[in-house]
Amino acid sequence: MAHDAGGSGPPRDTADSQLFPRWATLAARLGLVSLVGVPAILLGLLMALQYTPYVTGQTLVRNQPVPFSHEHHVGGLGLDCRYCHGSVEKTRFAGLPPTHTCMTCHSQLWTNAAVLEPVRRSLAEGKPIRWRRVNALPDYVYFDHSIHIAKGVGCTTCHGPVDRMPLMRQAAPLTMGWCLDCHRQPEAHLRPENEIFAGHWTPPPDQRERGRELIRHYLIRTEHLTDCSICHR
Amino acid sequence: MSAGSVLSRRQAALGLLAAAISGGLSGCGEPEEEILPYVEQPERLVPGAGLRFATTLALEGYGRGVICASAEGRPIKIEGNPGHPASLGATDVFAEAEILGLYDPDRSRTIRQAGRPVTWQEFLAALLPRLEALEARGGEGLRLLTGPITSPTLLRLIAAARGRFPGLVWHAHAPIGEANARRGAELAFGRPVSMLSRLDRAAVVLALDADPLGPGPDQIRNGHAFAERRLARAGRTEFMRLYAVEPATTLTGANADHRLRVPPAMLRDVALALAAALGAPVPRPELAAKQARFVEAAAEDLRAHHGAALVLAGESLAPELHALVHWINERLAAPVEAIAPVFPAGAEGPMPLAALVEDMRAGRVDTLFILGGANPAYDAPADIDFLNACKQVRFAVHHGLHRDETAALCDWHLPAPHALEEWGDLRATDGTASLVQPLIRPLYATRATAELLGLLQGRLDLSAHAAVRETWAEGRTPEEFEVWWRRTLHEGIVEGSAAPRFDPPEPRLPQVPPAPAADGLVLVLRPDASVWDGRFANNAWLQECPRPLTRQVWGNAALIAPEEAEARGLNQGDVVRLEVGGRSLEVAVMPEPGIAPGVVALSLGYGRRRVGAIGEGVGVNAYVLRTTDTPWTVPGVALTPLGRRAPPVLAQEEQRLEGEARELLPVIPLEEVLRAAGDASRSEPPPTFYPEFAYETYAWAMVIDTTLCIGCNACVIACQSENNIPVVGPEEVEWGRDMHWLRIDTYRQEIDGEPHPGFQPVPCMHCEKAPCEPVCPVAASVHDQEGLNVQVYNRCIGTRFCQSNCPYKVRRFNFFGYADGQEYKNLGEPVVAAHFNPEVTVRARGVMEKCTYCVQRISAARREAKKENRPIAEGEVVTACQSACPTSAILFGDLNKADSLPSRLRQEPHHYKLLGHLGTQPRTTYLKRVRNPNPALEGDAA
Amino acid sequence: MSGSALREPPLPPGASYGELIGVVADPVLERGTGRPWRIAFAVTLLMTLGLGICIAWLFIQGVGIWGINTPVVWGFAIANFVWWLGIGHAGTLISALLLITRQHWRASINRFAEAMTLFAAVIAGLFPILHLGRPYRFYWLVPYPNTMEVWPQWRSALVWDFAAISTYIIFSLLFWYWGLIPDLATMRDRARSRAARYAYGVLSMGWRGSARHWHRHDALYRAMAALAVPLVVSVHSVVGMDFAASLMPGWQETIFPPYFVIGAMFSGFAMVVTLAILLRRGLGLEKVITPRHFDAMAKIVLAGSVAMAISYTTEWFTGWYGGERAELTHLGHLFTGAYAPIYYGMLACNVLIPQVFWLRAARRNLVTLFLVTILINIGMWLERILIIWNTLSHGHLPSMWHLFYPTFWDWATLLCSIGLFTFLFLVFVRIFPAVAMHDLNKRLYQEKEERA
Repeated sequence: MAHDAGGSGPPRDTADSQLFPRWATLAARLGLVSLVGVPAILLGLLMALQYTPYVTGQTLVRNQPVPFSHEHHVGGLGLDCRYCHGSVEKTRFAGLPPTHTCMTCHSQLWTNAAVLEPVRRSLAEGKPIRWRRVNALPDYVYFDHSIHIAKGVGCTTCHGPVDRMPLMRQAAPLTMGWCLDCHRQPEAHLRPENEIFAGHWTPPPDQRERGRELIRHYLIRTEHLTDCSICHR
Repeated sequence: MSAGSVLSRRQAALGLLAAAISGGLSGCGEPEEEILPYVEQPERLVPGAGLRFATTLALEGYGRGVICASAEGRPIKIEGNPGHPASLGATDVFAEAEILGLYDPDRSRTIRQAGRPVTWQEFLAALLPRLEALEARGGEGLRLLTGPITSPTLLRLIAAARGRFPGLVWHAHAPIGEANARRGAELAFGRPVSMLSRLDRAAVVLALDADPLGPGPDQIRNGHAFAERRLARAGRTEFMRLYAVEPATTLTGANADHRLRVPPAMLRDVALALAAALGAPVPRPELAAKQARFVEAAAEDLRAHHGAALVLAGESLAPELHALVHWINERLAAPVEAIAPVFPAGAEGPMPLAALVEDMRAGRVDTLFILGGANPAYDAPADIDFLNACKQVRFAVHHGLHRDETAALCDWHLPAPHALEEWGDLRATDGTASLVQPLIRPLYATRATAELLGLLQGRLDLSAHAAVRETWAEGRTPEEFEVWWRRTLHEGIVEGSAAPRFDPPEPRLPQVPPAPAADGLVLVLRPDASVWDGRFANNAWLQECPRPLTRQVWGNAALIAPEEAEARGLNQGDVVRLEVGGRSLEVAVMPEPGIAPGVVALSLGYGRRRVGAIGEGVGVNAYVLRTTDTPWTVPGVALTPLGRRAPPVLAQEEQRLEGEARELLPVIPLEEVLRAAGDASRSEPPPTFYPEFAYETYAWAMVIDTTLCIGCNACVIACQSENNIPVVGPEEVEWGRDMHWLRIDTYRQEIDGEPHPGFQPVPCMHCEKAPCEPVCPVAASVHDQEGLNVQVYNRCIGTRFCQSNCPYKVRRFNFFGYADGQEYKNLGEPVVAAHFNPEVTVRARGVMEKCTYCVQRISAARREAKKENRPIAEGEVVTACQSACPTSAILFGDLNKADSLPSRLRQEPHHYKLLGHLGTQPRTTYLKRVRNPNPALEGDAA
Repeated sequence: MSGSALREPPLPPGASYGELIGVVADPVLERGTGRPWRIAFAVTLLMTLGLGICIAWLFIQGVGIWGINTPVVWGFAIANFVWWLGIGHAGTLISALLLITRQHWRASINRFAEAMTLFAAVIAGLFPILHLGRPYRFYWLVPYPNTMEVWPQWRSALVWDFAAISTYIIFSLLFWYWGLIPDLATMRDRARSRAARYAYGVLSMGWRGSARHWHRHDALYRAMAALAVPLVVSVHSVVGMDFAASLMPGWQETIFPPYFVIGAMFSGFAMVVTLAILLRRGLGLEKVITPRHFDAMAKIVLAGSVAMAISYTTEWFTGWYGGERAELTHLGHLFTGAYAPIYYGMLACNVLIPQVFWLRAARRNLVTLFLVTILINIGMWLERILIIWNTLSHGHLPSMWHLFYPTFWDWATLLCSIGLFTFLFLVFVRIFPAVAMHDLNKRLYQEKEERA
């Protein structure tokens, strides 16, 4: 019943074989597949891209007006983080050393090293040194250094082994997911008070147990840690 | 880390791009940031931690002590100073708005001569020789024009200047002022006395067109006292009764238990009738039955509360009536305290403006200094032709914040520093002195008033700082002074500086002249609740702050009685011409139920011609119809409709509450509270399918006592300042897009045939079962563990589903980038951005925002508490609105604490939930509005 | 209906297969574009550009260019969305529902009805995105793995809207294309120019009309039809949820989902009739689309309007019976408020006027049909905007009552979207056979059988 109603009008018989070459069938099939496949693959790539350093800025190193080396000052000389980042225990902002702090030593040491010229000029002209931010969070994220320090999150947990960084490097992806990893299970990262400022710190094998112990010790209320209002206002 | 926008324009563009091509790239294009540490870190300053300083702000020359918070050296928020008698920890709209005033881009920035910028040296070069010459003439022709001054330092410097120039005459001009009250006191007591009314000791108060609760230098103190006596709590019987007799609604009248609206002329008769009823040998005037009954009942009530009964006379009343009221208060042993006037009177006091202008016209004025923001070219009475008089002055210097109308007339203009940039001192209404200290180095090349007065003495190097220290160093050894100085700066008040109370002589009974007979309408002029006398006209926060009762923004309107409007066939927004004595203005009318028939009420302070982009051309200038002898009530005004329409811009269009709708703001008599004491009339929330949630740590809640809310708007501006709430401008408000997180819903319900207004502050309800949460497709509206309903701006994509489903409509949407690239007028200029609170995100276009219970303050308290391993203490978290409220009508705390304020107030019999029957289980709840009617006036159309 | 269908054959007696194919195919292949078509094309092309401008300005300035305000946060965008989506329902309903219920007269109208569906649905899908405050973040409605580790909020009707509509659009496209294949082959075979033959050839994917082809085509087509019906119902039900799953007076009603589906079908059918009349005239399809078809469709429209009447009364009753203050205020506002005149107009268009279809003459008079169906579509748009205006402008708190005033851009966007729709349709009728030829012949075959 069907085919006599079929796609045959007045008989001007042109079968596909004459209209199209042989390979057309294959081309059509491939075309159909790619019609679905290509967009799918593209989307997949885009989704993968957001996890890459290209987007997150992880491992990013910036050239600074003064090539300050944490490797030398922390790793080598063993300066305490708080010597320069003075407000890290008091406020949300860890603080950057005023030029004056640099000169406490460098008025005696390397007094005419070329690399330190910007520092001397800053003091002379009273103009601040323009450091370039390495670990940047969006403005709508309210991160507070002091509370993390107070509750046993060490510097290197987020900033990486600064004692091995000639120039400051963004150690973590600093994505929301990365923050949440720790806020969901802090026990994996908490340290006792005396190790918070340790230059580089490797979790002990029984970190989970210790971590849970520390959660009790620091009186951390974990259920509240994943509230949006913790970081966003 | 400064609080930037959720998404800058550039990022938005990038985002668009990303969405277009990728649809996946989020977070790309973060602009590279720089960090600039100090070279030399100032002591006490810790980057990232805010600082708070005590200082003092002036209104009408009187000081209100405040604590100012600053972030990284930027003043960002004003709060009350609990130690200061005129603040008691609270603020008013004007104090809160000074923050925006500081960063006003229209402020004058340079010294100018004939409009062209010049240097300080050029000014000195021109001035000093003149001063020499003047000194030779004994100062003949040297005049000083200021606003009201209470500052000990400035008074001292003026006196010193007089030392050098005996001929120097000081004139003071205050468009609002308190002239009638002063003359009244002199009439009564034979010498200058100022009477402090103590509402906190009053059980019955009758206000004769007086507005103690209205805007003014004493609003906070009075509001606080009022609240003490109007606390409706189960089992607490002490509750003030307030009567008001007035031609146009004031905040006092709005909060009165009984209100009588009479034309101004009738105030005299009421006062006399009252005096007569209290045994004064005065002719008892004829009163209509209604008035008579009212006066009778009030008099009876006053007499019954001897020692705690108080009558207040408004500034609009004639001096004789003030004197009469003093006599009445004496009779009632009313709680009033007499002090020597804080504002100097008599010989050492200033001369009036009229005298100055007269001399100017006569060419007797050679050199004129206009200091401290006096602006006669705008606000002088119409019969004083300052403009032409000014032409006669050879050397006129204007010193002020803006290049205003007066600056335009003066050859020289000097920019003045803002109150938060300047050293100084002020006295409060009760005489208490306090220091003014700068929160920030002057933004522009400004010169303090003290410096200029220093010049007059020839002390070119006198700084305001030095001048103030000189004043207070007197009679103190250097050592003890340093200690005193530090302590006083820290405390914010000078100990024991309050004016001594004394017993005034027996008040004389004055001869009250007959009321001037006049035909036509009577124009009642009022200081404005937002721009005061016009000095705040360029403050966008205040312009956009809905005026109490009318809820009008960005302008003023001629308020008339609804029956009057009907009789004249006028509708809201019809433009009319008001004409008197050949002078006229054109203004839109607005029917207002509180206005007496035959009266047109109009507020001063609008129609500024030169002040800045924000204030110029907003509203109409009522000073045009004002004369020296009719400062407050102008009789014989002709009203002619012009057939044009210019509807006023309103933040709320529907105010009537009828039938069941009254449940939204129930008004109940005091007995109901007393009777219901103990019983739990609070209904349980209706059943819900949603699971109950256990709030283990804290459960934040707010209770608002609508009995105490006097509708002063301080909370609204406080919220705006704390939470970076943008101004949208009149056009947008007209579209219905104002952004205030906290609004004061104003309702009127008929009680005994009189429209009884009620105020209901409405922040976010933070519903436990919030309708906004399940509808948001991206989970930008979510609940947190402490019961806060939080809005995540950076997650919001702007479907507006939450707002469409919010029964309280408390959410606000950024239809444009109001704070982010599409600001109103000049509010986008860089300097304005300095007022932003770094603890709160500045919201971008296209995101929803709303009240957060000041989550940034909760968070700060929580972090501090956690660092010290302790729970947040009761009262440690104070929301911005709560801290501003002069009557403590807004109370915030933790429901998990049984003894916290909200927990306790939720047990009150008159506690209720707004739209509670919807099952939203709001965390913000209310106490019903309690009246204390006089049984003698019950059921009467009073 | 099927009864009358048997009594009176929709196709003219004595029509031959080839003739019918000619009737449909020739306008596309043989005849050139007429003057009316070219004018319409030019106008609608401009309007389409206009829509582009509207959208550009929207993205530059923000949604504030529309009349929306704090209480009435939704406006034209949502109304347009619901309206277009409603129109986008009839096609699939006609094809699928009538196919399953063996209403073979559908053969003459299903093809362009499906095209209409496709275009309307696509335009409808545009509006929710334009309506967003931050449209460049629309993809956050899609559950995809992301570095924020946050997902859409499954309780929100909008998420399901997004899913339902995108599914519906894709489905409609496939359904429409699948039905086209045999006809594309026909076009290929009849086309004269080589380019056309290639184009149709590629699109018809080597259809040869073999029994195997026909068997598979039929099987899948029916299977899709069976899937289509529940899908259509689900889509507009979810749209109904957008309003029903709320606390607002006038929205919080269990009747909304079915009421929305009926409304959709109602407006959709009205639009089909409007288009059928225009096509019949424009392409000379008198032989193919006969008064019988109009009669049948008019009956469906009539049934729809009765159903709408029932829905409205149910709304009023529940509002009154519930007795909640806000509900009563809302009810009063419907009949006495600022929008009351529009509301009465809406009732007239949707309930009163369609009643003329009780008269057989009216059902077969093209002028009447045209006017009435146009009015119905206006009425249905008014219904959608009033659902938003009446509820949001008069919510629970009198203090927040504020009316909505449309701006130039509100109107421009609405009109230009209609322009885009017409534009697409004009293009469609010049490229594809506006009627399903093979279905038509199938139908003809059956009629021959019946006569025999």
